[in-house]
Amino acid sequence: MPTIEVEQITKRFGQQIAVDHASFTVDPGEIFALLGPNGAGKTTAIRIILDIFKADSGTVTVLGGPMTEEKKDRLGYLPEERGLYQDVQLDRSLVYLATLKGLSAADASRKVDAMLKRFELYDHRKKKIKELSKGMQQKAQLIVTLIHDPELIIIDEPFSALDPVNTQMVKDLLREERDKGKCIVMCTHQMHQVEELADRLVLINEGKVVLYGGLQEIRRSYSGQEVDVHALTDLPAELPGAARVAKHNSGYRIHLEPSVTPQALLQTLVERGVQLEKFEIALPTLDEIFIQVVTTAGSPQ
Amino acid sequence: MKKFWLVFKHEYLRHVLTKRFIFGILSVPFFVALSIGLGLLSVILSTDKRPVGIIDHSGVLADPVIYPEKRDGAIPFTTFLFFTDAKLAQVALDNREIQGYYVLEPDYLTTGEVSLTAVEASGPGSEGDFAALLRANLLKNQPTELRQRMLEGPEVTIHSVADSRSVSPDNILGLIMPIVAGILFVVAINISGGYLLQAVVEEKENRTMEIVLTSVSTDQLMAGKIMGNLSVGLTQLAIWLAAAVIGTLFYANLQSDAGSVVMIRSYLAVLALTFLPAFVMVSALMAMLGATATEAREAQQISGLFSIPIFMPLWFITSILEHPDSALAVGFSLFPLTSPLTLPVRVAISTVPAWQIGLSLAILVAAAFGAVWLASRAFRLGMLRYGKRLTLRELLRGAA
Repeated sequence: MPTIEVEQITKRFGQQIAVDHASFTVDPGEIFALLGPNGAGKTTAIRIILDIFKADSGTVTVLGGPMTEEKKDRLGYLPEERGLYQDVQLDRSLVYLATLKGLSAADASRKVDAMLKRFELYDHRKKKIKELSKGMQQKAQLIVTLIHDPELIIIDEPFSALDPVNTQMVKDLLREERDKGKCIVMCTHQMHQVEELADRLVLINEGKVVLYGGLQEIRRSYSGQEVDVHALTDLPAELPGAARVAKHNSGYRIHLEPSVTPQALLQTLVERGVQLEKFEIALPTLDEIFIQVVTTAGSPQ
Repeated sequence: MKKFWLVFKHEYLRHVLTKRFIFGILSVPFFVALSIGLGLLSVILSTDKRPVGIIDHSGVLADPVIYPEKRDGAIPFTTFLFFTDAKLAQVALDNREIQGYYVLEPDYLTTGEVSLTAVEASGPGSEGDFAALLRANLLKNQPTELRQRMLEGPEVTIHSVADSRSVSPDNILGLIMPIVAGILFVVAINISGGYLLQAVVEEKENRTMEIVLTSVSTDQLMAGKIMGNLSVGLTQLAIWLAAAVIGTLFYANLQSDAGSVVMIRSYLAVLALTFLPAFVMVSALMAMLGATATEAREAQQISGLFSIPIFMPLWFITSILEHPDSALAVGFSLFPLTSPLTLPVRVAISTVPAWQIGLSLAILVAAAFGAVWLASRAFRLGMLRYGKRLTLRELLRGAA
């Protein structure tokens, strides 16, 4: 059973359509990327899922039904617009927010201590939030999101303000949560993080779903007639089936003629005695797909 | 319900445990006590305790009665020393043994003339005591009751026609108390409202709102916030009132005649009935402001729109006290923002028709409900609009 089922949701603000008949599902044990350019309707979609906003039409099912007060204890949310009580001590603030998620004060206190140690914030626990650096505040917010061991984790730009060491730590943490069977919805503009972490994704543009599916599946579907070749010997001057050969990184990118398959080219190269080190169908990066989809969809018809 | 208490406790403790709150709460009674203490101290220190000399050629003070022999208060009755002639008195004055000396001439009874010799031009601050001494001795052969009446004057008690309430000079506390308590209540309401305003705007400003909203329902959040911040104001009020009561007991004997008891009881009843909806109304209005404004400073500036009318009856307090049934006083009692201060004061000093009390309370309760409705609407509509103000039109028309 999917953790989240979004079906045909629409939300208008005045004349503007923020979300337009969007549908997608998110399953347990996956990291699901919610992508889209600024103002595409991602945050509105999340707020509808979380029942902060009501959809004008369409249905949302979370953890097997509509959102309830009890279910709020089973989800962790790190919003894009975020912050903590600036004048309150770090540990007090975290314990309060953890108790709001249904933990007892004693449990909350114990777990906060453990998390603060894991996130290397324990020595700063008596400081006011405003005395912490931006990165530390970001880690504190991640603690708030995860402290109550939620089944559904929704995180918006989880890596902003983090240094490479902490970015790696958060990535490990998200993988760990996925392996425990948690459902993770991640909103980010950092496409390389999505490529590294996400299992599936949805791309929303102008409120509409424009791309939806498994990450590799999408990349394959956007791959063109191109292969990347690294060879120990030079490529023959004449290569049947190749429309164009260009230097690419330390190898070559071969653009195939429309009727030629990569298999046919591989056979030709082997027959010509080229010693191959690498032969790979060139998949576009998520960045490239993102730009292609968004600019095509956004351009005037 | 459990989360309501968590929000309540968080809101309450985050203010009450701050140095600012503790300093604020202690500073008012401290500065009041300090200024009274300093005032008394300066009077005591500046009072010359040396005796004052008297040379009596008139015989009025032969075999004198010293009246009063003692009196209450920090300043004792002046000691008088009798001299037989001016030379001896002058020597004592030169030696700074006395503050000065009065000379009653032989024809004092016919002329009333008395001369005073003193070092300082202003003379000793004991003319009142000297006059009291003279009066007591002039009347010493009169019957006791007559002497007592002439010395103490009449004791006027003003009776209200309608009931047993009375305000006498001795019962001045009965007049001042409603005003002081009213001011304290209104101050507490404003403080609570201010905290609430700050609490709502702050969550918007620091972006904690969304995290909180995915943990607790808006109803529980609002209820917890309102009650928590109201309790902060009530705590402040309770401590100030306790300090005021202790202070009053210390400086004066509270009158406990039947009239003042009746007055206090009816006054307290109206005060309680008025301030409960007033508290809710002002808090909800402040919460509404917090939800609609984009930042704390802006919200605080607008909050003056509510706090100024609340204090407005104080500007007209003399008129309200002199004419508690005037159109102005009645109007102030009916308008929800001015009634919390006006109605209890009127009830304390005059007979307010039951319909006015009923109507005033009904309007206040309706205003409180209206304010809560607006606040929750504003909260739902405005809570996630960072940097964008919610307009009145949107507030009255928009849908969440």
